[in-house]
Amino acid sequence: MELLPQALADGVMLGGIYITIAIAFSLTYGVMHVIDFAVGEWIMFGAFTGYYLNKWTGLDPFLFLPVIFVAYFGVGYLIQPVIHRVLSGTKGNPFLMGLVFTFGLAIMFKGLALTVFGYYSNSIPSMFSEGAFNFDVFGAAVTIPTVRLVGLAYALAITAVLHYMLKKTNFGLGVRALAQHKDAAGLMGVNSRRTGSYVYGIYVGISAMTGVLLGCILSIGAQMGNEYTIFAFFVVVLAGMGYLAGVPWAALLLGLVQSIFMIYFNPSHTLLAVFVILYLILLISPRGLFGKGV
Amino acid sequence: MKVLDVQSISVKYGDIQALWDISFSVAKGQLVALIGANGAGKTTTLKALCGLIPVAGGEIGYNGTVTSGLPVHKVVDLGITLVPEGRQLFPKMSVEDNLLVGAYLKRTHSKRSQTLKKIYSIFPRLEERRTQSAETLSGGEQQMVAIGRALMQDPQVIMFDEPSLGLSPIMVQEVFKVIQDLHREGLTIFLVEQNVHQTLKVADYCYVMENGRIVGQGTGKELEADQSIREAYLGF
Ligand SMILES: Nc1ncnc2c1ncn2[C@@H]1O[C@H](COP(=O)(O)OP(=O)(O)O)[C@@H](O)[C@H]1O
Ligand SMILES: [Mg+2]
Repeated sequence: MELLPQALADGVMLGGIYITIAIAFSLTYGVMHVIDFAVGEWIMFGAFTGYYLNKWTGLDPFLFLPVIFVAYFGVGYLIQPVIHRVLSGTKGNPFLMGLVFTFGLAIMFKGLALTVFGYYSNSIPSMFSEGAFNFDVFGAAVTIPTVRLVGLAYALAITAVLHYMLKKTNFGLGVRALAQHKDAAGLMGVNSRRTGSYVYGIYVGISAMTGVLLGCILSIGAQMGNEYTIFAFFVVVLAGMGYLAGVPWAALLLGLVQSIFMIYFNPSHTLLAVFVILYLILLISPRGLFGKGV
Repeated sequence: MKVLDVQSISVKYGDIQALWDISFSVAKGQLVALIGANGAGKTTTLKALCGLIPVAGGEIGYNGTVTSGLPVHKVVDLGITLVPEGRQLFPKMSVEDNLLVGAYLKRTHSKRSQTLKKIYSIFPRLEERRTQSAETLSGGEQQMVAIGRALMQDPQVIMFDEPSLGLSPIMVQEVFKVIQDLHREGLTIFLVEQNVHQTLKVADYCYVMENGRIVGQGTGKELEADQSIREAYLGF
């Protein structure tokens, strides 16, 4: 039992990271109706960008977060029209073609990264890398590395900013309208193309920033994207496709399941356990944890 | 003065042509109606007018500007709007948010709280239900939201696509009353309806559509006197 508090703490930290991976991903799905399989690669690119910026300038990677957001927002903004074209085609099945297209992007990005960066894996040094907080919970020792706590704070900040944007700004009102009814949103004056580009840009920017964070907490490598794509997909399906309010809870649940399983059972079977749990939940509630997905 | 001037437009869905050489016009302050059987092309005409679907030929003029070719968000910014078939509300959003999206455009955004008050005075029921999500409303209330949302845009021309469809007789009367009130206030109205009797009574001028073509026109009285129209649409 003395391991439980540590397992819970780890689970919450992990869940926090999953929130940032999944929340903008879910928003993008809601607005563009595309599952972007390249999400892990945006994370990977962000991580490498942070790594090299740190190497060249010697400055702390956390200072670069805004720069990385702006740069990758631009990349996403410019790429979105291409994806939009694929999705709004009239020939074949545009939804499937969209999936294949983002899958292709992911493979291309990964190949590019392997060529440029090779197979090595490394982590990004940061001022938060060393320290840790030690607590005593009912006699059980709990250690929380500073960098993970910073990661959690970042996740909460991203969630709060997105929430504010969606609920309190005119732009957010347009985004919500677009996600619920494209034609009607157009009739209200929402420019669906530009709004879609902004949303995709925001998503790519957030994913890249999350990559830097993951590079500080864990490690970076050309193949690191794979598992994050899987987790993003898990969280979004668990939350209910396109149901944004479910994402934080689904992410936390996933983090907790994973950390508890890692401590009490066999760590190498964690992913399998997560799969099984997701499967069971979808069996009982096909539209996600809250029954509010599509 | 012509506010809307439609000159021989055609519309295609892929290889299928839905509209053939449609021409008509609407003068400022008029209530003009378009009637026709299911599948005649009425909704297609309205969608083309507001830029939701492109025209394959012809030209749509609004206040002297050519709007065919413009995307829908640009067209509505010029002051034309549509209350679409089947309401098309944002189902998960509250009633108030649905109305506020109506003031999304820059030109209406600054005065949106005043406009909202005005809408609530026209439809007090919506104020009572302002925090409810739109999908929980009755059909009649949903139609009020759809009309209110369009009015939030401060339009000069408002188009309705079968606004009485699926409503109870009392609500149908209420919808017609609202449309007539708007007409009296000077708004230009283009009305598509299945409720032909009542439509011919309130409209200043009517067009009749069949298989994607305009096949007749005239004032309500003229059309009511027309034998073939009576047989086809009025049933006597
Ligand atoms: N999205 C679409 N794709 C293909 N054909 C369509 C589409 N929408 C409407 N049509 C066809 O165009 C014609 C006109 O339809 P519509 O404008 O909806 O008629 P109305 O509103 O008068 O009932 C019909 O034959 C209909 O089947
Ligand atoms: Mg119709």
